[in-house]
Amino acid sequence: MNDLEFNRVSKRYLVPEEEAQVAAGSNRLLSKLKSLRKSHKEFWAVRDVSFQVARGEALGIIGHNGAGKSTVLKLIAGITSPTAGEIKINGRLAALIEVGSGFHPELTGRENIYLSGTILGMSRREITSKLDLIIDFAGVREFIETPVKRYSSGMYVRLGFAIAAHLDPDVLLLDEVLAVGDAAFQTKCFEHISRMREEGKTIVFISHDLHAVESLCSRTILIHRGELVANGAPREVIAEYAEVSSRFTQSTAEVVEGTIMSKEAAITSLSFESAEGANHYRTGAPLVARITYTASEPIADVKFGVYFYAENGELHSQFTTEWDGERIDLEPGIGTLTFLCPALSLQRGIYYADAAIIKRDAADGVVIDWQPQRVILCVDFGKTVRGMFYMPHEWHLARHGETKDESSAENILVETS
Amino acid sequence: MMQTRNITDLQSANALTTARRMTVIHPPSFSPFIVFTGLARLRQHLDLLWTLIVHRLKVRYKQSVLGPAWAVVQPLFLMLIYTVIFARIARVETGGIPYPIFAYTALLPWTAFSSALTAATGGVTSHADLVKKVYFPREILPLSYIAAALVDLMIASIVLWGLFLYYGVQLTVFALWGLPIILIMITFAAAVSLLLSALQVRFRDIGMAMPLLLQLWMFATPVVYPLSAVPEQWRVFYTLNPMVGVIENFRRVMLEGIAPDYVSLGIATMVSLVLLPLAYMYFKHLEATMADVI
Repeated sequence: MNDLEFNRVSKRYLVPEEEAQVAAGSNRLLSKLKSLRKSHKEFWAVRDVSFQVARGEALGIIGHNGAGKSTVLKLIAGITSPTAGEIKINGRLAALIEVGSGFHPELTGRENIYLSGTILGMSRREITSKLDLIIDFAGVREFIETPVKRYSSGMYVRLGFAIAAHLDPDVLLLDEVLAVGDAAFQTKCFEHISRMREEGKTIVFISHDLHAVESLCSRTILIHRGELVANGAPREVIAEYAEVSSRFTQSTAEVVEGTIMSKEAAITSLSFESAEGANHYRTGAPLVARITYTASEPIADVKFGVYFYAENGELHSQFTTEWDGERIDLEPGIGTLTFLCPALSLQRGIYYADAAIIKRDAADGVVIDWQPQRVILCVDFGKTVRGMFYMPHEWHLARHGETKDESSAENILVETS
Repeated sequence: MMQTRNITDLQSANALTTARRMTVIHPPSFSPFIVFTGLARLRQHLDLLWTLIVHRLKVRYKQSVLGPAWAVVQPLFLMLIYTVIFARIARVETGGIPYPIFAYTALLPWTAFSSALTAATGGVTSHADLVKKVYFPREILPLSYIAAALVDLMIASIVLWGLFLYYGVQLTVFALWGLPIILIMITFAAAVSLLLSALQVRFRDIGMAMPLLLQLWMFATPVVYPLSAVPEQWRVFYTLNPMVGVIENFRRVMLEGIAPDYVSLGIATMVSLVLLPLAYMYFKHLEATMADVI
């Protein structure tokens, strides 16, 4: 019994190409009028995707930004229509795409519950019957007659989620909703969703948080460039994701996210290795990163960079060859640069990494090639207890009053490689 | 490419799913059938329409001192301005009716129409965030503004009643025609705002042009002058504007206490009734891609 079916669904967007026309110096109004008729570039956000979700299953959808995950969600939710194919939904559907959808700042918490609730598809009677549950879940009882513009951001988000959590759908769509509120509230949300799973609700969960996907979902699909490339157990699909992301399909784009690239050389891969093999990285254990590149001409004095990002895209750390002194001149051909980290300081979690080749001499460092945030690094539990990061360390114990030499190896209780 | 939402609700034969509704989403195809599927969907979301109407009224007057009195201020001040211009300076012939009441009786439905249209046209684009994130029948957005404008009309009617008392106007049995005339106006306003709000998603120019358009439209409608001031040979063409039938007849039945002019009222009714389903079809046609282009 399937609650959700995607049968060969495709979605095409038409992207207007007016920018190019204006740049060509033609009359702006004229080009605008022309663009009404033609000059649209086709972009297939989702192409020929099929999958089924059985009743009671929790399906995770993972993939890079812009891979088509959100389009899949929008198609299921009915926000946009497919260009081809068929989508079947069995039962009542609720999409939790952003909390606080439709809140109006001037209205009180209570008024907003009705407003947001009806927008999300509840009837007024249904809301009235669940009002107390919603207010208590959000923990905003004292402020329920206060306009939400006076709410703290935490209260706002809690109220938004509380409404959505009480939709009581047959099929629930979740998009990054767990990334809201403080840790305690996130735990509460997570528990609530787990409970809905136990009640046999069908869940479709789209997230960058691969750990959440792994612990919540019974099955996962991977969308890559609008196509479904893997469908199976979360652990395996996540590994596949890491694998897919390290293979660079060489993009010829010379401008990525506002960075202009000269492209005399290209990074062809960025991969990680550890003593345990690929895809097994632990906090505190050694990590090896390999950057392979192809240079089409000799380039003097370049630097390589490796960048690590948190799941939300925030830069965690940046390493460049520049700091380590040695001058690098590239010869035409293929080469590999190895980055050795004796002890990985990243805590358990999902990280993104990328690499760049940059000309050193130029004033602001001309980027030769950069493949932004492409590679996934899943780090497992290792030599840490809690906290933000790991530090390579040693412990020494000295008992005062004893005559033994302090630096003797016997006093080292723990030594970390 | 034809792009229209086409959702078919099927009752599955499977015994396990009798309580559940099966929704099948297909690529959009353009057919008059979408009017019916659209209305079925709209019916499921009537609570949202109701909540939004209440919401519009609440939000509009929060943190304003005069509150709902604003509903009266606009037609009242327009009446005063037009009285000075058209009764004192330009001297428009109103057939013996005092100009203030002549103007206010027409300004009452006209301001309702024009404010409904102004707000409703931007109804979808002003909720771009919502349209991109949640699905609900989008026509609820413009329609909620029209309903809210009607509440203003009711409030402003109190002043009309006061003016009638002051000028000693006797209502006749023909005043009952006032209600169907307003209904025709609502139908027409709904049709026009469905068209314009859907178009505005693609062309923001519509919103820019609205104040000018409504200004011109008002002068093409017998609001500040009587229908009799329009030269005979232009009347037929002039009356094609449905607002002519609405405004002129509203004044006739309320103020003059005589039967409506069935020709102009008939035209207004026909145009509105034909336009509404077409406008709704067009709106639903564009709805399928609204989230993509908004």
